[in-house]
Amino acid sequence: MSEIDKLSDKEERRQIDELREILVGENAEQLAALKQRIEDIESRTRDVSEVLAPAIRQADSSKLVASLQAPFALTLKQAIRSEPQEYAEILYPVMAPSIARAISQAISSMLVTINRTVESATSVEGIKTRIQSMRTGIPYGELALRQSLLYRVEHVYLIDRDSGMQIYQITAPDTESLDGDAVSAMASAIQSFVRDSFSQDRSAMLTDFKVGDHNVWVAHGPKTMLACVILGDAPESLKGELYTALYKIRTDYALPIADFDGSADQFDGVECILQPLMQSRLKDNQSGENRSSRRNSIPFIIIGLVLLYFAYQWFTHNNKLSTVEYFLRQTPGIAATDIYWKSGKLVVEGLKDPDAKAPYGVLEAYDVDRDVLEFRTIPFRSLEVDMELQRFRNELTLPRGVYLSVRNEVIYLYGEAPILWLNSNDARIRQLAADGRLTISELSASLESVSDLLRTSFSKSDLKDMRMTSNARGELIVLEIGGTFEASKLALLSALFAGSRWVMVTAKERAKGGDDSISNQSDSSAP
Amino acid sequence: MVGDFSVGKTSLTQRFVNNVFSDKYLTTIGVKIDTAIVGDDKLIVWDVAGRDSLSPINASYLVGASGVILVADGSRSNTASGLLEIWQMVRKRIGSVPVVVALNKVDLDGWQIDDHSRAILDQQGWDVFATSAKDGKNVEAVFNKLVEKMNSKDS
Repeated sequence: MSEIDKLSDKEERRQIDELREILVGENAEQLAALKQRIEDIESRTRDVSEVLAPAIRQADSSKLVASLQAPFALTLKQAIRSEPQEYAEILYPVMAPSIARAISQAISSMLVTINRTVESATSVEGIKTRIQSMRTGIPYGELALRQSLLYRVEHVYLIDRDSGMQIYQITAPDTESLDGDAVSAMASAIQSFVRDSFSQDRSAMLTDFKVGDHNVWVAHGPKTMLACVILGDAPESLKGELYTALYKIRTDYALPIADFDGSADQFDGVECILQPLMQSRLKDNQSGENRSSRRNSIPFIIIGLVLLYFAYQWFTHNNKLSTVEYFLRQTPGIAATDIYWKSGKLVVEGLKDPDAKAPYGVLEAYDVDRDVLEFRTIPFRSLEVDMELQRFRNELTLPRGVYLSVRNEVIYLYGEAPILWLNSNDARIRQLAADGRLTISELSASLESVSDLLRTSFSKSDLKDMRMTSNARGELIVLEIGGTFEASKLALLSALFAGSRWVMVTAKERAKGGDDSISNQSDSSAP
Repeated sequence: MVGDFSVGKTSLTQRFVNNVFSDKYLTTIGVKIDTAIVGDDKLIVWDVAGRDSLSPINASYLVGASGVILVADGSRSNTASGLLEIWQMVRKRIGSVPVVVALNKVDLDGWQIDDHSRAILDQQGWDVFATSAKDGKNVEAVFNKLVEKMNSKDS
């Protein structure tokens, strides 16, 4: 820049100053004072302090809150950080009861969770859930939680605590609407009643109560409370959600709550906070109910099966007992006085012939095992016909041509028996006959066996002199000896048939003499 | 609804809300709440348990009230004079709210509210009605008056 230009600028400035002096000459002092006032910080601070309080009062509340929120929060944080102890002491009376309540709530919630977990883990449903968890890979807790969601939130009321008036209400669809105002007022009244009547601690609150199938849970804030009407049993975690919602409402609607006059106009959007509380999981609920009813019916099914099992056992036991009783009664030689089950054994008490045979074969056909039967019997001799018959068969070893039979309860031994067998069993047979246990009227010796015996003892010539005939009743063989018989042969003949009731020997020659016939008096009267 | 015991607070409320009356006396425990529509307004009626010598009125039920109906039994003059004391308590708890007075049981013989007693009530600036829950006399008038006063206060 040249010297000439510089001079020109100075001249220009001087002219402007002169012009300014002409225009604002009288106000210059005021302007200077104003300038000084603006530039002087102390003065400005004094001015602001005078207008601050009225300005805050007149300001738009919402805008003011929005403006102050951040600096206040920052200030509060810094203040608490710098003097935590002091703030802790100030807040203690307010916070302590809330913290105690929160802890108590958490413990209560935890206990309920533990109870449910134990219950679900030990139940049939719990085991099924665990298997399902392993199969699908979904955590067990999540599956168990799904099953425990057997509730439906039907109404949520936001209530002004001071007046007991309803601020806002949400009702689940398809739910009978209640008079929200009356419910809110009643909830508030009950709260007052409980606080005044039951509790020493004025800060204690009624947090839940039950009305029929409905549970009413109440979350308390300083100015408002949230009442939640729930059908069924909701998980404890919902209480936490209630308090979270209430806290958010307190934060977002602090001014409308403070200025509440019965109108919900200033609570636009509160529904968005309340809506998540309307937990209605109908599908889960229904399936849950089905599961629940199935789970509830399981004990009855088990009891039914147990009863059925016992009924079946009783029936089969009784049936076996009747079967055994029936067949033992048919069995000769066994007289059962009592039959009963004991320690899995069918005990038979009474009398039993040692020769009697228990009808194991038949009983096994009726599913009564041989090992099941236990005889606690006293031995005895049975005179039943069948037993006698069996006993005679065993004892007498009947030869061919001899039979035992029963007619009119009388045992007959009959037929033509070998003379040797008759001789050897003679005493026993006669004894039985004498006792009346055996009838031998139709028993006789066979001619053939007598003939055979004679052939072995005598020569053919001797035999020519012998003649055998049966008596009129066919019970006695008459052996007639003719010709001349030596004394030695007569003695032999006598030895063969002496005392026999089956064969009678007569001698013709001697008969003529009248005193030498070989006969036995008893034989003549024989059987 | 506040007043001494057995003056007919519940009967007045039931007559107004449900238009029913019963001779049977059932004491109110705590508070009973009903709602009724009066014109464009919804009234939430807190029928507070009556006062007696042993139990004062539970003031916590008064908090948030927009108006009060003081109820006395016209056949028991002491219940009318007791209204002054009750009102002191109410005002102390919730401030000056609109108030009307119902002197109930006007249908009974033995009305004991004389001119002097009535004058004392009138001096308070209260609107006083002789009511009968039994035949419904002045019942609606009491409630309507209260609503009217509450609305005029709001405006």
